[in-house]
Amino acid sequence: MLKNFIYSLFFLCIVTPSYAAFENSPEWLALVHYQGEKGKYVSTIDSDPFFLSPDGKTNPQAELQATINLFENTQDTEKKCLFPARYKLLQKNSLVSKPFPKCKDLEQFYDDLRPSGVTLLFTDAYMNNPSSLFGHTLLRIDTARKGTQLLAHGANYGAFTAGQENSVLFAIWGLTGGYYGGFTVKPYYDIINTYNNIENRDIWELNLDFTPQELDFFVAHLWEVGHSQTRYYFFTQNCSYMLMEVLDAVRPSMQLSEQFPVQTIPLDTIKAVLQRQGLVKDINYRPSRQAKIRHRYRMMNDKQKKQYLEIIHEQEYELAGLSESEKADVLETAYQFVQYQYVAKNLELADYRKQSFKLLMERNKVTEQGSIAELDKGKEPYLTHDSMRAEIGTGFRNGEAFQEISYRPAYHSLTDDNYGFLRGAEINFLNTTLRHYDEQNKTVLQKFDIVGIKSISPMDAMFRPFSYEIRWDVAREYNPETQDEGYVTNLKVGTGVSYAITDEVWTYAQLNSYAAYGGFLPDNAYLGLGGAIGVFADFDKWRLFGEAEQVYATDKFGEKTKINVEGAYTLNRNNALAIRYSKEWRSGKDLEESLLSWRHYF
Amino acid sequence: MKKVVLASFLAGAMALASNAQAIDSTGCGLGSMAWRGQSGIGPQVLAVTTNGLFFTQTFGITFGTSGCDPNGRVTGGTGRMVLAFMENNMEQYALDAAAGRGETIDTLAGILNMDSAKLGEISKQNFAYMFENENVDAVNVTLKLMEVTKA
Repeated sequence: MLKNFIYSLFFLCIVTPSYAAFENSPEWLALVHYQGEKGKYVSTIDSDPFFLSPDGKTNPQAELQATINLFENTQDTEKKCLFPARYKLLQKNSLVSKPFPKCKDLEQFYDDLRPSGVTLLFTDAYMNNPSSLFGHTLLRIDTARKGTQLLAHGANYGAFTAGQENSVLFAIWGLTGGYYGGFTVKPYYDIINTYNNIENRDIWELNLDFTPQELDFFVAHLWEVGHSQTRYYFFTQNCSYMLMEVLDAVRPSMQLSEQFPVQTIPLDTIKAVLQRQGLVKDINYRPSRQAKIRHRYRMMNDKQKKQYLEIIHEQEYELAGLSESEKADVLETAYQFVQYQYVAKNLELADYRKQSFKLLMERNKVTEQGSIAELDKGKEPYLTHDSMRAEIGTGFRNGEAFQEISYRPAYHSLTDDNYGFLRGAEINFLNTTLRHYDEQNKTVLQKFDIVGIKSISPMDAMFRPFSYEIRWDVAREYNPETQDEGYVTNLKVGTGVSYAITDEVWTYAQLNSYAAYGGFLPDNAYLGLGGAIGVFADFDKWRLFGEAEQVYATDKFGEKTKINVEGAYTLNRNNALAIRYSKEWRSGKDLEESLLSWRHYF
Repeated sequence: MKKVVLASFLAGAMALASNAQAIDSTGCGLGSMAWRGQSGIGPQVLAVTTNGLFFTQTFGITFGTSGCDPNGRVTGGTGRMVLAFMENNMEQYALDAAAGRGETIDTLAGILNMDSAKLGEISKQNFAYMFENENVDAVNVTLKLMEVTKA
């Protein structure tokens, strides 16, 4: 230790003038993940081995000194081998002169990866897992290996959660930094299996235009952060945020991470990357298995569809009246469907094997190839409206005029423009509404939506998903009889089924349970049960949502029949007009409300 | 401080949903730092060259990792790579082999350093030999694939 210190002192005396400036250079700051301003730098990385100086986490100068010292004045090969990118950067700036040691593990890393490029991957939302509602991003190190990019590697930044994903602890630790995050690599075929085939999520591949030097530096830096750990925060320092810092380390001028000081929504990082001139050179779409099956089914002719359904529902493999090519398409699609069914746990292993094998043998007999082209286009998630929404509107409640303004940090409502989103899925967080009543001349907090998730997912001849809804809000409720107002916390959980009349018009029926709590309520609280039927129509430019709901409650106040109709029209990507009408029939006086509003996304 | 305040503020809301991405429970990366230098080859992958038989994942449950490198990487020589690939992609290869073309065939052709169309043809012709029944496993298929492509 003392020896190192003396070395450092010694070294200080002989540095070139450029060194003094280098500790604050964007390259060095980005490489050690320093955030903040001069004099107040803190590195995002938390684990000790990442820092060579005891003050390294907050002192770029000390860390630079310690790094130069490591390479110039020590024989610690093991440590040197952990920092290939730092060495490259220092060497480029003539701050080190000794050669980089031979590192067996690092060489093996390069040899396994055989890097040829970097691709940013976005996987779209997965409604069956709360942690995946916003989609996910990861990086792919493209490979120069012969064959395909299936042999490339995905680098994923995630939390090490010790299998607690489905517990309350997961949410608590995840929010408070109780988990550590780190990078893992996996073959790309494994990533495809996970996202495309098991979770049925589309993957978007954004090929980045890195120079060979940048690519080399990227891989070297990945090696560095791969040995470190960082406290993981679901909303801030999450999977997508770390990728921004890693990309910044390669090209600091991009300043990607600065764009996400608070929340980091995966899709927003994709949009940020696309805004950087010349960073993305190519975009490729990889549909989920379910999307592929749907596409192939849509492309079949009626005869094919009929026989396809017979195969998957009745295991009737006799294909009559089809050409060889048509047979190939039917059998291959049926095979994919059987795979889907097994993963969805709708098929026992033995049946699954039997059906798969039968289809393979039938397919093997067919001499021609199918003619249905693979699905190669999807609705680009990066063309969606932005995540935050401000809404300003005017309306009437039982004849009294009001104006209201609301702000929603994230993410998407059913009647928002659905282009690029999972259709029928709604995820809203922390939507806050202030309202001003003209006659009473008062302004109140009208509603605070803590969380609202709704998934309408139609059943069809092939897929039988459930629809569901979870809502938790604090609302200022109004008793039309007494004209009293007060705050009530509402919780609603529902599940149901949905059916598509056409591609655009979906209907659903749902059973709900309710709980409400608030001093304003006659007995402070009530529980309820009920049901709803609804329709959701989406004609791209305009959307219509209508629902009729019946609530039976332990308290008369909670009991009501309600209709709610909402329509919206898209002006452009980030602007829309909306109208809403609702009426509640209660014991006593009814409640009627209307609203016309403008929605702006940013 | 800002982060702590924000986190506690959001904590309630997030009990229901959160923007997390846990390291998923499938695949090789589970709970380990992916490329911390771990050496040594899983004994199972040696089977391809020794022709030994042992338990491996059979047809239908090959979303597994038994052929996976402990570091989560594509690694090793031809036999080891083919086996690892087969263990993770056998469902798709089975279909591609039955049809005589596809992405897994293109990939295997790369590993085996042969022409993709040729491998497609060989796979289709030898499909019944490689997939003799519904209980074949990845090792068997790999051994037979190596055999039929040797010529």
